[in-house]
Amino acid sequence: MIKFILAALAVGIAAGYVNNNLASMIAGNWITSYLFNASLYLLLFVMGLSFGIDKEAVAKLKSTGLRVLIVPFLVALGSILGGLVGGLIFRLNIFSSMAVTAGYGWYTLAGPVLVQILGGEWGALGFATNFLRELLTIVTISSMVKVDKYAPVASGGATTMDTTLPVIVRYCGSDVLITAFSSGFVLSIIAPFTVIAFASLT
Amino acid sequence: MLYLIVPLVAGILSGYLLRGRKHINLNKVTFGIILVLIFSLGFTIGSNNELLTSLPKVGLSALGMSVLAIGFSVLFVVLIKRRLRI
Repeated sequence: MIKFILAALAVGIAAGYVNNNLASMIAGNWITSYLFNASLYLLLFVMGLSFGIDKEAVAKLKSTGLRVLIVPFLVALGSILGGLVGGLIFRLNIFSSMAVTAGYGWYTLAGPVLVQILGGEWGALGFATNFLRELLTIVTISSMVKVDKYAPVASGGATTMDTTLPVIVRYCGSDVLITAFSSGFVLSIIAPFTVIAFASLT
Repeated sequence: MLYLIVPLVAGILSGYLLRGRKHINLNKVTFGIILVLIFSLGFTIGSNNELLTSLPKVGLSALGMSVLAIGFSVLFVVLIKRRLRI
């Protein structure tokens, strides 16, 4: 399955590049905004559908309990610590590097916010780091799930409420859906605050 | 955030109402939609020249930072989850 996903990603990147730079066949935003959003909404609907249809869903939800609150907190802590260690290794300003990883994979947020506060280079780093987080989560999911069923949820950060959610549910089972969505949801809410806060400390 | 919750909740409710009907296999439909979503994600990246040109420059530190962020997140979640048995 992952082969098809990577192929779709590669074809998408190539098509986007060609369309943007060489031959503008269609207005790019038809795909980047309409197709992207339409498929995302449809997917969330279908994910919800398979959850609602599942007779054991409520029992699974009850077992989620504490996880819903603890998981995003630990992911935030781990991400920021990762930024601190990364900043020390690559000899970067540690507050800026913590701001980069405090985007939890939400690259369309972290990139622009960091451009605004810290300038273009940090914006590029913020964009690339968080984008790679999403990409690595998708690429490594089949081995990650062997470590722990919730490891891909931790890996995906804020992306587990949308882009990586379907892949996670497919690999980890539908009982992970609520934890994944709620963790991504909480992280998406706090991401703007944590990115801005750490960037301002620079 | 609301725009993401609406389709999810609508799906859950529809699924609940459809419960007890004969088994519906959504796997193939889901997979098809995933491919469309990933394609359009790729398209978004491919259309962004700034991102494409910035990737090689910041590539190594970006890779290191994302691996570290993922590593510590997974470590914390797995350790605490096993410790608390949740």
